[in-house]
Amino acid sequence: MRQGVVTLFTLLALVTPLAAMAQEAYPSRPITLVAPFPPGGVADLTARPVAAAMEKVLRNPVGVVNKTGAAGAVGMQYVAASKPDGYTLLLALSSISIIPEADKVFDRPPAFTVDQFAPIALISADPTILVVPADKPWKTAKDFIEDARKRPGQISYSSSGIYGTLHMAMELLSHAAGIRLRHIPTPGAGPALTAILGGHVDALASGPAVVLPHLKSGKLRALAGWGDKRVAALPDVPTFKELGYPDAEFYIWAGVFAPKGTPEPVLAKLRETLRVAVGEPEFKGAMDKLETPIVFKQGEEFQKFFDADARRLAAGVRKVGRVEDKK
Amino acid sequence: MLETLGNLGAGFSVALSPPILFYAFVGCVIGTLVGVLPGVGPLAGISLLLPATFGLDATRAIVMLAGIYYGAMYGGSTTSILMRIPGEAASVMTCIDGYAMARKGRAGAALAIAAVGSYVAGTGSIVGLMALAPPLATFALRFGPPEYTALYVLGLLVLAYMSSGSMVKSLAMAALGLLLGMVGIDQMTGYFRYAYGVVELGDGLGVVPVAVGLFGVAEILASAGQPAPPEVIKPRMRELLPTRQEWRESGWPIARGTVLGFLIGILPGSAHIIASFVSYAVEKRWSRHPEQFGHGAVAGVAGPESANNSATSGAMVPMLALGVPSGPIPAVMLAAIMVHGVAPGPLLIQQQPQLFWGFIASMYVGNVMLLILNLPLVGLFVNILRVPYPYLYPAILIFATLGVYAVNNSVVDVWIMLVTGLLGWLLRKLDFETAPVVLGVVLAPLLELSLRQSLAMSDGHYGIFVQRPIAATLLAAGAALVLLNLYSFVRRGLDWRAKLALAEKGEAQ
Amino acid sequence: MTTDRVAGIGLALFALIILEESWRLRLPLGTMAMPGPAYVPALLAGALVVSGVLIAAQGARAPRLGAVGWGEWRHAVAILAVCAFIALGLERLGYRLTMSLACAFLLVGIERKSLVTALVVAASIAVGTHYLFDTLLRVQLPRGAFGL
Repeated sequence: MRQGVVTLFTLLALVTPLAAMAQEAYPSRPITLVAPFPPGGVADLTARPVAAAMEKVLRNPVGVVNKTGAAGAVGMQYVAASKPDGYTLLLALSSISIIPEADKVFDRPPAFTVDQFAPIALISADPTILVVPADKPWKTAKDFIEDARKRPGQISYSSSGIYGTLHMAMELLSHAAGIRLRHIPTPGAGPALTAILGGHVDALASGPAVVLPHLKSGKLRALAGWGDKRVAALPDVPTFKELGYPDAEFYIWAGVFAPKGTPEPVLAKLRETLRVAVGEPEFKGAMDKLETPIVFKQGEEFQKFFDADARRLAAGVRKVGRVEDKK
Repeated sequence: MLETLGNLGAGFSVALSPPILFYAFVGCVIGTLVGVLPGVGPLAGISLLLPATFGLDATRAIVMLAGIYYGAMYGGSTTSILMRIPGEAASVMTCIDGYAMARKGRAGAALAIAAVGSYVAGTGSIVGLMALAPPLATFALRFGPPEYTALYVLGLLVLAYMSSGSMVKSLAMAALGLLLGMVGIDQMTGYFRYAYGVVELGDGLGVVPVAVGLFGVAEILASAGQPAPPEVIKPRMRELLPTRQEWRESGWPIARGTVLGFLIGILPGSAHIIASFVSYAVEKRWSRHPEQFGHGAVAGVAGPESANNSATSGAMVPMLALGVPSGPIPAVMLAAIMVHGVAPGPLLIQQQPQLFWGFIASMYVGNVMLLILNLPLVGLFVNILRVPYPYLYPAILIFATLGVYAVNNSVVDVWIMLVTGLLGWLLRKLDFETAPVVLGVVLAPLLELSLRQSLAMSDGHYGIFVQRPIAATLLAAGAALVLLNLYSFVRRGLDWRAKLALAEKGEAQ
Repeated sequence: MTTDRVAGIGLALFALIILEESWRLRLPLGTMAMPGPAYVPALLAGALVVSGVLIAAQGARAPRLGAVGWGEWRHAVAILAVCAFIALGLERLGYRLTMSLACAFLLVGIERKSLVTALVVAASIAVGTHYLFDTLLRVQLPRGAFGL
């Protein structure tokens, strides 16, 4: 029996290095697009049509795999550490630049760093909007901010988790407007929405698509948006920029990344593929139904957007710091 | 009422149309198959098949996904009863008495009662869903962090009722489970707790690998090396059906499980797991023969299996009435209808009557389908017990590993299963119950988060737990439970002292 | 030593290790009004120490450790080793190969079945479950270096 065990494990050791295989023309086998969040979330719902459209353009299977856990860190780390051959890609959200910063705040070895990835293209970017329950007295963002000044730390908001995207949006606003709000973290965007609908918190920063039905039914009221421009579906809701808080700019965006070191010809092929893919009518239709605007950027342009966003978020995370240190 | 009936009639005309009937059937079959696989419960099942529904219209998609959802809840009991591996986390309690029944040769009866209980619970809770959805959903939303804290505390007190052995041992096991549940990112501050650089541990120890390890793997470790392996059971046809006595014993547990499961299921969160635990505790307390629990009590299968099934319909109440993602599974289903351009929200029932009523009606139809599908399968599944154990357990082990791995595509989960398997085996040898550990792992992150959220809401004042009426009521119920227990404990203690005093007096004389 | 003594001491020790680790990892304790990340774990560990000590203290009458019967330990260790092999091999060798090897080893090495029977049974379980769950139900299973 003991011999058997030894044989099994020797076999395992022998076979591990065999993983290296010869290079062929790209793509010649199925491509995996990793969505670091569970099915049904923004990352997953964007990844599925992206993969389908890529598959059509490349005439090569593209499968979505949900590698979930630790607020996306598991899937991102997985892609960062996988072979840079263009067969493992990542569909990441804004949180890709937050996680390494949060690791820094806690002086722990980062699960991955942003420069382990080669950005390929931005697919969508949706500004968050500030919503409050309709029975609250604030009619405009100005009312809200003034009241928050009068009662620092009294107005509460829910978020998708500490250092999560919805938390960062609120933090950027708090800093820009010089106010202090009370943060109630929840385990995700869904529970955060449930908390405000139940009247347990006073405010929420959320993607427009998720709250639109509740705005229509009159349960919630939108005060302002974090975007550069107003949200198409909510033409009456001003942006914080218009209101004089240009630093309160935040998007929930989705982009495709490859591990750093992927050969340039492969990256070029992927960029071209995605450019054609986002123009496909099926893809447009799918994103329309999710009420998520397609914002396509690639190459230099995406890099610039990505860098600016990462800088804003890094500053935001550092301002939050370790929560209990500020008490 | 008349209007409801009219709507339901229209719903049935949708649900009974051949294409919808077909998708409901496909959903039920897939759900049953996925549910049989240990670990891969309804969530993994419908997540995996979500992309396949993108090509269908909204009604067909949601009917099929719902079929998978409750199909998986039906299937979850199979491996629990036959192999003592929880088919999904909510079937942990079924493992205990279901497996004990199987070892006594009553596997067929246990499976049949689980199926019938699931059917009654499924159908009964749809009536509840249909009649009470809007008011109940509004009520469920009033559960904020303080209410949840009170509810979970009550859940832990119920655990004290569940224990059959020594109270201290159960408490120790609960504390151990709660401690294990502390692993992972602290939701309030972002600290990594006890993860030692393993990013996968960020979300904590999954309930599935822990439950499969503590029950399934521990069972294999304990049985495989016995000089005489567990004997082969050859079920005979007439033994497949429950006896009249067994039916009588499971009637009320099914009814109670249905109501309990539905009420707990409405609350957003991982309610269906808790529903099955609470139902088990209630049945044990209610039973005239609590000593049979753990040794093959029929009520211990009937109650929890009904409860976890009616909790699934309960979970759809806030989802359909308010468009609130009341848990991971409804969240996936909401995504599925969003993909089709239907905005889930409070206006869903008015704007999409065909979808809502068609869905409700198809749930009735689906439950009938599942019963028809599952009863013959009982005869098929019990034949697994004919396989000699030396061949059976390697297959069970592979089956369990496959299920545990597939939930998150994570090898770390396989390691967790291995370690908890060893732990479960040791604890079993040392005469400890492992069910409280699983409940602890489920409750720990929920309880801690809601406690700290409440304190964040109230700026550190504990008064928030008594100022809010629902929370205060729940806590009062918990306190009453403790006092009742203490009272009987003290009285028994006095009895014992009185006896001792009497004996001493006797000696003195 | 009785079973309860061993278990009680073991649980208490485990809890003490948790306390020590919380301190070593510098998890802030917080206050009762604002519990920090180590607050609830510390409370629970405290409860576990107390119950562990109580179990050990009352454990004089429990059965002796040796009396429980540990005859299956060789089997248990071998099965755990196979689990470890599966965990290590799954993503390297692929699902079908790993599971066939693991199952064949259990059948031949431990249960002393003939090699041919074992290989046939093992391969059919591995390939069968793979076909059902991966191919038909689209539960993605790893393929490993050989595409198996």
